[in-house]
Amino acid sequence: MSILTSGLRRTAPRPARRLTAALSLAVVGSLALAACGSSADDSAASADTLTVWHYFSDANQVKIMTDYADMFEASHDGVTVENVFVPYDQMNSKLISAAGAKTGPDVVVFNGADAGTLALGGALAPLDEQWDAFADKDQFPDSVVHTIDDTTYAVQGYVNLLGLWYNADILDEIGVEAPTTIDELEAAMAAAKDAGYAGMTLSGLPQSQGEWQAFPWLSTEGFTYDAPDAGALEAGLTRVRSWVENGYLTQEAVTWDQTVPFQKFAAGGVAFAQNGNWQMGTAASDADFEYGVVPLPLGADGQVYLGGEGEGIGAFSKNPDLAWEYLAETYYSADGQLVAVNNVGSLPSRADAGQDEAVTGNALLQPFSETIARFGANYPASVIPAAAVADVQLTVGQAWSAAIGGQKSPADAATSAVSTLDGLLKK
Amino acid sequence: MKQTAGPVTTTIKVLLTLLYGVPLFWIILTSFKSSADVMSTQSSIFFRPVTTAYVEAFNGELFTALGQSVTIAVGTTALTMLIAIPAAYGLARTSGYITTIGLGLLIVFQMMPQTANVIPLFQVFGNWGLLDSVAGVIVADTALLAPFAIILLRPFFRGVPPELEEAASIDGSGMMRTFFSIVLPIARNGIFTAGTLVLLMSWGEFLYAVNFFLSPGSYPLSALLSQQVSAFGINWPGLMALAVLTSIPVLIVFSSTYKLLRDGLTVGAVK
Amino acid sequence: MTAPLASAPSPTTLTPGTRAPAPRARTGLKRGNKLAFLAPAAIFLALFSVYPLITLVRMSMSAVNAATLNGDWVFTGLENFRTGFASGETTQALWRTGLFVVVVTVVGMAGGLAAAIALRTTGRWSGVVLAVMVFVWALPPVVNGSVWKFLLGDAGLINTIILKTGLTDTAIPFLYDQHWALASVAFVNSWSVIPFNALVFRAALMGIAPETFEAAALDGANKWQEIRHIMIPAARPTTLVLFVLTVVFAFRSFDLIYVMTYGGPGTATNTLPFLGYLQAFVRYDFGLGSATSVFTVLFVIVLAVVYARSIRREESES
Repeated sequence: MSILTSGLRRTAPRPARRLTAALSLAVVGSLALAACGSSADDSAASADTLTVWHYFSDANQVKIMTDYADMFEASHDGVTVENVFVPYDQMNSKLISAAGAKTGPDVVVFNGADAGTLALGGALAPLDEQWDAFADKDQFPDSVVHTIDDTTYAVQGYVNLLGLWYNADILDEIGVEAPTTIDELEAAMAAAKDAGYAGMTLSGLPQSQGEWQAFPWLSTEGFTYDAPDAGALEAGLTRVRSWVENGYLTQEAVTWDQTVPFQKFAAGGVAFAQNGNWQMGTAASDADFEYGVVPLPLGADGQVYLGGEGEGIGAFSKNPDLAWEYLAETYYSADGQLVAVNNVGSLPSRADAGQDEAVTGNALLQPFSETIARFGANYPASVIPAAAVADVQLTVGQAWSAAIGGQKSPADAATSAVSTLDGLLKK
Repeated sequence: MKQTAGPVTTTIKVLLTLLYGVPLFWIILTSFKSSADVMSTQSSIFFRPVTTAYVEAFNGELFTALGQSVTIAVGTTALTMLIAIPAAYGLARTSGYITTIGLGLLIVFQMMPQTANVIPLFQVFGNWGLLDSVAGVIVADTALLAPFAIILLRPFFRGVPPELEEAASIDGSGMMRTFFSIVLPIARNGIFTAGTLVLLMSWGEFLYAVNFFLSPGSYPLSALLSQQVSAFGINWPGLMALAVLTSIPVLIVFSSTYKLLRDGLTVGAVK
Repeated sequence: MTAPLASAPSPTTLTPGTRAPAPRARTGLKRGNKLAFLAPAAIFLALFSVYPLITLVRMSMSAVNAATLNGDWVFTGLENFRTGFASGETTQALWRTGLFVVVVTVVGMAGGLAAAIALRTTGRWSGVVLAVMVFVWALPPVVNGSVWKFLLGDAGLINTIILKTGLTDTAIPFLYDQHWALASVAFVNSWSVIPFNALVFRAALMGIAPETFEAAALDGANKWQEIRHIMIPAARPTTLVLFVLTVVFAFRSFDLIYVMTYGGPGTATNTLPFLGYLQAFVRYDFGLGSATSVFTVLFVIVLAVVYARSIRREESES
C-alpha cells in the first residue's frame, strides 16, 4: 500500500492542481464575460430601440417581421426595431414571468386565443386610450379586437381560418365536384378510398390545435359553448370516428399537428385536407398536382374560428408611445396588412385592405373570405371566461383525440368532456 | 483488456448499432431532404438530396450562438464541478443524519421539474440583475446539474480506499493536500465521466436559455434549434440539419475524453 | 471455481467498483472537517434550488393561475391535491406512470449494463457505437422524438419492413393506439437513457484491473462467470446510483411524450410529469400543476429514503 501511495503522490498532484486551476479560471472567465455581456445589453436598451417578441420561424412569416421593421425604421430616424424570437410553447409563460420581474418587450405578437391569459397575467398594457383615438378603428370588425373585462388589450392585423383543400386531379379521376355538403364530402371520400386514395387529413392532437380543427364539425351538429350539449358533441365525434372506421381518415391523425396533415396532402394521394389559408406557400412549393379550396361543407349551424395573432403593447414597455406608433403603422395599417397578404396569404382584418386587388384577385383566398361571411366565429368563443379558455380547449381537444384514436367511445368522450365543460364555463 | 467477442456480445453490439445507428442515419438523411420529400419519401432512402437546410443554417447567427454555447457550457461545467467534486467527496467520507438528509435533498432537487424552476428563478434573477445575462444562465444550469453531478460522483470517491488517505496523513500530509494528491487522481475516471456528461447536458440545455435571455442575438445553439419548431409544425430538414451541426462539438468533446478514458486513466490508476 | 474469483487480489479496491471500508476511525473533529467540503455546494444550492423548491410547495397549496401568479396567492391547503384526485386525472396518470417507470427503469438499466459489458472492449467497432450512442443521447428530445415518430409512423421504416416481410397485414399502430402508444413512449425513453447508463457503467468496469481478468482466465473462468463474478460486483455501487437516477429520469421525463404523442390519443399517455406540465403551462393552473409535481416528488422521496438507508447499511456493513 505504501508503495502505491508514494507512487501516486509523486506523479499525481500536477494534473489535479491543473484541473482545479483550469476549472476556476473557466468560472472566472465566463462569469466575467457574462458580466460584460449584461452591462452592454443594458445600455443598448435605450429609448430608441423597440423590442418585438414573436414566435415565427417560417421564412415567409419572418419576412413580414423584417419588412415591418424596415418600414418603421425608414419612417422613424434613429429608431431600431429588434425582433426577438421566442418559441411558441414558451411565449406565454415567459411573458408572464417577465411581467413578474417587471420587464418584458415593447410589442407582443401572440396567439390571439391567449389574449385573456396574457391580459390576466399582467403581460399586456391596456390599449383603450390609443385604440379609442385611432382614426381607422371602424375598419376593424369586433371579432379581431380582444377586450377582456371591458378593457382592450390587443387587436389582430389579420385573420387565419380553415377551409377544405382538395386535390383537383383526384376529384377529376373519381368524377366528383368539390363538395358543398357533408354528405357530398363523405361520398367523395368513399369514392376516393375505392380508387385507392386517402380521403382526408386533419389534426387530432389532444390540445388547442385539435379543438380548433374539431369545432367546425362539432358546431355543425349544433354544439356550442353557450349551452354545451353532450348529444351534439357525440354526434360530431361519432362522425369523425366513422371516417376513421370507414378508412377515409387514418387514426394516425391523433399524432399530427396542423402542419403534418398538410404535408401529407401536398405529397399527393389524399383527396381533401382540412387546413388553413396560411398553407398557400407550402401548397405552391410542394404540391405537384392541381388543387383548390372550398369553404368547409358545413350546415347552417356550422362555425369556423377566425384565428390569427393578436398584437399588443407589453405591460412594462419603456416606450409605449413608440410601440403604439409601430402597431398603427404596421399591423393596423392598410399597407402593413397587405404586406402580410403578399407574404403568407393571410386575410387582412381591415375592411379596406380586404377590398384590395391582392385579396379579391386571389382565387385561393376567395373561399376563405366567403367562409368568414358564412361561418366566421370568434376565437375563442366570447362566452368562455378568459381564465377558462385554455382549459376548455384542452378538454375538447382531448375528447376529439380520444374519439379519433379510439381511446374512448364518442359517447363516453362527449359525456366526460361536457361534465368538465359545465364546471369550467360556470366560473 | 483484450477480449474475444462472444456471440452474445456480438449480438448486443449489432443490436446497439441498429438501435442507435438507424435513428442517427435517419436524422442525417432527413437533413438532406427537401421539405416536400420528408413526407412523400418517409420510409425510403431514395430521394434527391438537397443542402438547402445546411445553407440556411449557416449564417451569422449560428456563430454568435456558438460563442454563447461555448461560454455557457464551459462556465457551467467548471462551476458545477468546482462545487460538486468537494461535495461528493464530503458526502462519501461522512455518515450520519446530515449526509442522509443531504443525499435525500439532492434527489428531491433532481426531481424538481425544470419548468417549475423557471418562474421562481425569474424572480430571483430579476432582483439580482442576472436576467438576460450569461451569468444567470450559467447559475441556473449549475443549480440544475450540480445535484446530478454530486450523486454521480459520490460512489467514485467512496471507491478511494481510506487507508491511502490515512497513510498520507501519517506521512504528514494535510487534508487539502491529501485530497488533491491522493483522492482526486484516483477518482479521475469518475470525474472525467461526470464532467463530460455535465458538459454535454449544459450544451443541450434549452429551457433556461430561452427564458432567461431577453435580447436578440443572445440565444445559444440549443435555443436556436427551437426556431425550427414553429407554432403549428416543425421544419424537419432544418431541425435535423441544425441538430447535426450543433452536435458536432459534442462528438469532438466525447472523442477526446474517450481517448483519455481509454488510454490514460485505467492504466494510471493502478500502476 | 468461484472462490478464487471472489477473493481476487486487491487492485480492485482502487476502483469505484468495490466497497471501501468505512472511515470509521475518524475523530469527530476530522468528520467535521470533511463536512466543510459540502459548504460550497450547500451555499449555492441554498441560494438557487431551495427557493424554487419552497415556491413549488407553496404554489401547490395555493390557488395560483395566470391572473394571480404575480400577485398574492390565496392559501387553499390540500385543495389542489383533492381536485387532482377528484377529477380522476391524477389516479389514472399514476398508474400509467408506474408502468412507464418500471419499463424505463428495467430496460434502461439492463440495456445500459449489457451495452457497457459489450462495449467494454477497445476495438474500433465499440468506439464507434459508443460515440454514436453518446451523440444521439446528446441530441435534444425534439430531434430524437421526431425521428422516432417518423420511424414508428404508418409509412415509417419499421412498419414498412414489417409489412414487406409479411409479419402483419396492417401497420402496427405504435403511436395512436392507446396501449401501443404508452409502450412506444416508454421504449423510446428507455432507449434515450441507455447511452447514459452505459457510459457510467462502463466507467465502473474500466476500473477493474486487467490482472483480475488475467487471474480469472488462469482459473479457467468463462465469459458468463467473468460477468457474474467480476463485472456485476464491480458495477454494484454504481448500479444503486444509476437506479436512482434512472427512476428519477423516468419520473420527470415529459419532453419525448410531448413530441411523440402530446399525451394522446386522448389522455392515454398522460403520465404524472406530462399531466403536471399540461396543468401548469397549458391550462395555467399553476397550483394544480405544482400539486401534481409535489405529489410526484413525494412519491420519489420514499425511494430516496430507501436509497439513503441502503447507503447507510452499505457503510455500516463494511
